[in-house]
Amino acid sequence: MGTAIDRFDEKARQTFDSIGRTEVYRGELLRHSVYTRLLHWAVALFFFLALFTGFGIYLPWLFRWFTPVFGGGALSRILHPYFGVAFVFFFFFQMLNWLTPMIWCDGDSKWMRNIRRIAASQEKLEPPDTGFFNAGQKAMFWEIVAGCIVYLITGIILWAGARSFGATAVAISYVLHDLSAIIMLGGIFIHIYLSTIGEPGTFQAMTRGAVSEAWAWTFHPAWYKKVTGRDPREDYEKARQQQNTTPKANSNPN
Amino acid sequence: MTNGWIDIKNTDMMLIMGGNPAENHPCGFKWAIEAKLHRNAKTIVVDPRLTRTAANADMYVQIRAGSDIAFLGGVINYAIQNNRIAHEYLVNYTNAAFLIKDGFKLPEDGLYSGFDAEKKTYDKSTWNYEEGGDLTGKPPAPTPEGQNAPAGQGAQHSDTGKGLGYQAASPTGAKAGTGAPALPPNIAFDLSLQHPRCVFQLMKKQYERYTPEMVERITGIPQAEFLKAADLFTSVRKDGDMKKVATIIYAVGWTQHSFGTQIIRAAAMLQLLMGNVGRAGGGVNALRGHSNIQGATDMAGIFDILPGYLKMPNPNDVDLATYLKRATPTVSKPDPWDSFNYWSNTPKFTVSLLKAMYGAAATKDNDWAFNYLPKIDRNYSWVNIWNDMYEGKIKGIFAFGMNGVMIGPDSNKNIDALKKADWLVVCEIYPDETSEFWRAPGITADDQKKINTTVYRLPGAGFAEKDGTFVNSARWLQWKNAAVPPPGLARLDQEILATIFLKVRDLYKKEGGKFPDPVLNATFAYTTPYNPSLSEVAKELNGKALADITDPKTNITIKAGQQLPGFAWLKDDGTTSSGNWLYCGSWTEAGAMMQRRGTDDPSGLGIYPNWGWSWPMNRRVLYNRASCDGGGKPWDPQRRQVWWDEAKQSWVGSDVPDFKPDSAPKDHMGPFIMNPEGIGRLFVPLGAMADGPFPEYYEPIESPIANPLHPAQSSNPVVKKYKTDMDKYGTLDQGFNVVCTTYRLTEHYHYWTKNNPMNVQLVPEPFVEVPAELADRMGIRGGEKVRVTSARAHYIAKAMVTRRIRPMKIDGKETFQIGIPIHWGFRGISEDEDRTAKTLANQLTPTVIDPNAFTPEFKGFLVKIEKV
Amino acid sequence: MTDRKTLQTEKISGHSGPSPGLGMQRDFEVCKLVDTTTCIGCKACEVACVEWNDMPFGMTTFDNTYQTMPETRWNFWNLIKFNEHQREDGTIQWLMRKDQCMHCADPGCMAACPADGAIVKYTNGIVDFNQENCIGCEFCVSGCPFNIPRFNPGTKKVYKCTLCSDRVGEGLEPACIKACPTGCLKFGSKDDMKFIANERARQLKENFGMENAGVYDPQSVGGTHVIYVLHDATDPERYGGLPKNPTIPWSYTVWKWLFKPVLGAFALFGGLGVLMHYVSVGPRRPQPEPPEKEAANGNGD
Repeated sequence: MGTAIDRFDEKARQTFDSIGRTEVYRGELLRHSVYTRLLHWAVALFFFLALFTGFGIYLPWLFRWFTPVFGGGALSRILHPYFGVAFVFFFFFQMLNWLTPMIWCDGDSKWMRNIRRIAASQEKLEPPDTGFFNAGQKAMFWEIVAGCIVYLITGIILWAGARSFGATAVAISYVLHDLSAIIMLGGIFIHIYLSTIGEPGTFQAMTRGAVSEAWAWTFHPAWYKKVTGRDPREDYEKARQQQNTTPKANSNPN
Repeated sequence: MTNGWIDIKNTDMMLIMGGNPAENHPCGFKWAIEAKLHRNAKTIVVDPRLTRTAANADMYVQIRAGSDIAFLGGVINYAIQNNRIAHEYLVNYTNAAFLIKDGFKLPEDGLYSGFDAEKKTYDKSTWNYEEGGDLTGKPPAPTPEGQNAPAGQGAQHSDTGKGLGYQAASPTGAKAGTGAPALPPNIAFDLSLQHPRCVFQLMKKQYERYTPEMVERITGIPQAEFLKAADLFTSVRKDGDMKKVATIIYAVGWTQHSFGTQIIRAAAMLQLLMGNVGRAGGGVNALRGHSNIQGATDMAGIFDILPGYLKMPNPNDVDLATYLKRATPTVSKPDPWDSFNYWSNTPKFTVSLLKAMYGAAATKDNDWAFNYLPKIDRNYSWVNIWNDMYEGKIKGIFAFGMNGVMIGPDSNKNIDALKKADWLVVCEIYPDETSEFWRAPGITADDQKKINTTVYRLPGAGFAEKDGTFVNSARWLQWKNAAVPPPGLARLDQEILATIFLKVRDLYKKEGGKFPDPVLNATFAYTTPYNPSLSEVAKELNGKALADITDPKTNITIKAGQQLPGFAWLKDDGTTSSGNWLYCGSWTEAGAMMQRRGTDDPSGLGIYPNWGWSWPMNRRVLYNRASCDGGGKPWDPQRRQVWWDEAKQSWVGSDVPDFKPDSAPKDHMGPFIMNPEGIGRLFVPLGAMADGPFPEYYEPIESPIANPLHPAQSSNPVVKKYKTDMDKYGTLDQGFNVVCTTYRLTEHYHYWTKNNPMNVQLVPEPFVEVPAELADRMGIRGGEKVRVTSARAHYIAKAMVTRRIRPMKIDGKETFQIGIPIHWGFRGISEDEDRTAKTLANQLTPTVIDPNAFTPEFKGFLVKIEKV
Repeated sequence: MTDRKTLQTEKISGHSGPSPGLGMQRDFEVCKLVDTTTCIGCKACEVACVEWNDMPFGMTTFDNTYQTMPETRWNFWNLIKFNEHQREDGTIQWLMRKDQCMHCADPGCMAACPADGAIVKYTNGIVDFNQENCIGCEFCVSGCPFNIPRFNPGTKKVYKCTLCSDRVGEGLEPACIKACPTGCLKFGSKDDMKFIANERARQLKENFGMENAGVYDPQSVGGTHVIYVLHDATDPERYGGLPKNPTIPWSYTVWKWLFKPVLGAFALFGGLGVLMHYVSVGPRRPQPEPPEKEAANGNGD
């Protein structure tokens, strides 16, 4: 992507790194900088705020027990667009930040074709060409990018109302906005699952910012190879043998 | 109104002209709609603008402002030519058959006989009936002059008003009481209407000139359209059928011209010609622009009358007898006919009024205190008052319930006049333009220092804060209760006036003065003199017996102190008092008739005899004897108002007969009992009109063309222009090429509601209605500011570009009309927010007045228009 | 107190299951009749509406028309629309039509409204907004085929004509009806008003030469509880944009009651899916998997 964006992101990363701290122990790899993590959690926060206030607008009769959390339906309606705008705002920087690693490549298409095998955990390691992000993550990223564009356009139309854009525009926007939300809602379940109990060891990437080498060679072999210069398969085999010979050895050297 | 609001529902045809009832009388317009809904009545609206009334009409005809007489004359001509006339009615109930004196000349050249070019007045001696008898079928022969009525024998109509100079002080006026021409007691007539000097033939000749072509040249109405309208209106008299009725409805669009009275005369003639007067759903109906303007006129809110339309004394009325001789008409009629001549009771009304005004101080010996009454020496009409003030002759003014600066005409002149006054007292509910004339736009701080007028502002009460009566256009007295008390220091009008009166009386008591008697002796016997109750005033107006009086016929006696049941009881011997004979019967011993709220309407004609009280004597339709044929049977059995009951030998009916109840049809008493002839006047004899016995079309003073009928005498010959430096009149040559008219909006009430947020929300700003074609030519788009300039001033407002006003061809020339609503000034919600240019519509209007009613010419003057 | 029954609820917006009050005895459907052929554009109805509903003053600006403002406002529910229509012969017809909520039998606002009980339709036909439950989403604005509901940016709620449900509930006529001086506004049962309207249209055809006179009671929204007599019912658009065939956007009718819940549930399948995955496939751990104990320690620092 553009060097200007790269430079901007680099500068932001350095700035935030000088404020925050990422501790990487031996046997670990730096996964996400402070800047990235802060953006992620800001995006997550406003996503959920927008989501929960959105519930009260989407199906108020279903969520009437819930809307009081935000001071009732009317206040939900007032807050929702602001949360949405904040969500899009922070995600915009995340998008710039991740633009390069999120580029789709041939391996991703292959990954997608093998998604059943991968989901069924039939392979111990991810395909060797899985880089910093795998195709699933990229797909979600680009879905959110698309979703944000839809949110932004339809959201503004809904916010300004039929008096500014006409009843038809509102009626169409209303459907698109909801559709986008439904897709994102489905995605968020998978995202949370995989980043927590679905793939243990992942969550710390967004908290501490570091992941174990084993996590890296397992889930992102190409990235592992790129940052360590070692072959992920070999290191995995080495670790396995080590584990077999010295059962008490810890793969997490701390 | 000869009829009433509700009565409009009985009509089959409405000609609405010079009025915009849907906008200015929306509640009354309900009855026009009822007629449409329930009688399939048709509506013709003739107006310079396509108004909201026109939007509801079956036919809308756009007319040039001020050309109404040409249109009406054309319809009269059409009705005569096409025999759409009520022949029996015409012969028996109008003066169509009466012969006019030899020597009377129709205004082919724009002038009737007897014009004095120097004084700009008429010698009206030829405007009179010929003495004689029945000439029906006899060949016309010129009558020798000497045969005319000897002086003194006939009734005297000496109010030969002649424009600006009220005649009383003039030499002609001085002669009025003595040698002036009078109506002959025995009028010559020709029932075949063939005599060339009979009124019908003269009228026919007069209006033959108002051909459709002529109407088109003057009014701008295409011939085809005019003929369609004339045909539609006169269709009620198709084939001589008398069942259907047409009404004519007008308002100030007719009165506010230099020939306004004559427009109404023309309408009355048309209605008489078609036999529509006195009938349910007919008549000539003036829509009053204020809730109580009828009451104001009844109670002598005009300078030249006393309450009940009694004539105002003038300096020649040296004593009561002289006055009564002048004011009381005597019968003048064809010999075989009868005439009630109700005004012959003038002495009773006058003496009762004097007794009401001066009580015990009015005795037979002092002529019932007749000399206490002020005598008017000249014309004190509105425009003259302001002209006099401008010339420094009037030093102070009380302005109650009106906004003198705004009312105009020529508001700038009125503002300048106030600058010259010593003092000004304004009683209002808002800060208005009159009390703040000294801060009118254009007056600088330095100018203000030079204004020495002392302004006193009195806090008045609003209409909803007062009780009392309104007299509506239908002559109904209706009592209303106060809704809320006046706020703060605001006081009721009667409290303010009584306080001033009592203070003045105290000063007279203490200091004497030139002539203290009228003030000291005026009756003021109210329970709380400083704040008289209006019910006491109403009872005083009704009148009471001052001694026991007995009616010899019925032997009914009214005890001294009792309220009188009606004006038939009034006496000229000082035994009765009545503040206004017309209101006698409104508050009787039976109670306050004006407070009645009975909603029963047995006839279904909307008479509602037990609702409120209508003068005279609760009659709802005036001249209702004319609703019957000669035999006393209703023209339309479906709409029976009154009729002759042979068994009872009396007039009976759903309405109170406006007639001598026991006058049998065979006596041939005329139904128009207030005229000494007993008939309706197509031709107005002698001095009742200043400018002609028939209405003749004259151009407005400011007109885009010379009168096509007689270019040499284009405008009204007896109208005089004012002479001060402020009185300027524009011409086409000076570039004033657009005809302008002023009007009111339904959303606003005069200069008042601009202070009320709700009304301001409805129409926030002043505007000028401009025809789309004119706007195109001037490059004006809707909402852009335009400047309208007359010879006197300019007016700035946003343009309302509309296709509702079309360009017109006037005498072959393309002519445009614009309209300006009058409601905005320099104080009000929009004004105070600087959202308007703070110019006044009446800064544009000319100081010209009608010679009969002295109403200014607000409609139809010349301006030019440009983009700001 | 006479007529409380006329305000029994028929259904309320965005509400699943039976509405409170449904099935209770009803009196009759009410209807306002506006006879545009006898309307004089006096705006008494506008004033009565503002006054009865105690709405605050809003400044207007002259806009080259007699019409008070271009459209109704949240604090101005009743607006006479003035239109100059040029007839074929070149003459001008000045049309005035009182614009307000039409109280549709099948209200578009209600179809669009997601909020529980924000819009109430009474058995007498009145469609009323209950601002207490309004969430201010403005979907009703786009759902209305007559462009009636108005959003108040101050309160963030939507407002419109209530057909004076407060007055009607007490057996009175709406304020505009009471104020109308000409009787061009009438109020009564839908059947009566339809009868009067049709009679008037017949009279206009037979006696006033208006061949196209007719009654506006659009069936595309199930009929309305405000009906018009028009000089020319074939072209209602000329009366300030009265739609000939008002319709409710499909996105509300289909979307709200079908796709919304279905797709919402579909999103939940995401959650269900991952759960199934966890149960059936189980988590994927970094390889090689350490013994359980250490793995548990693995994340703790």
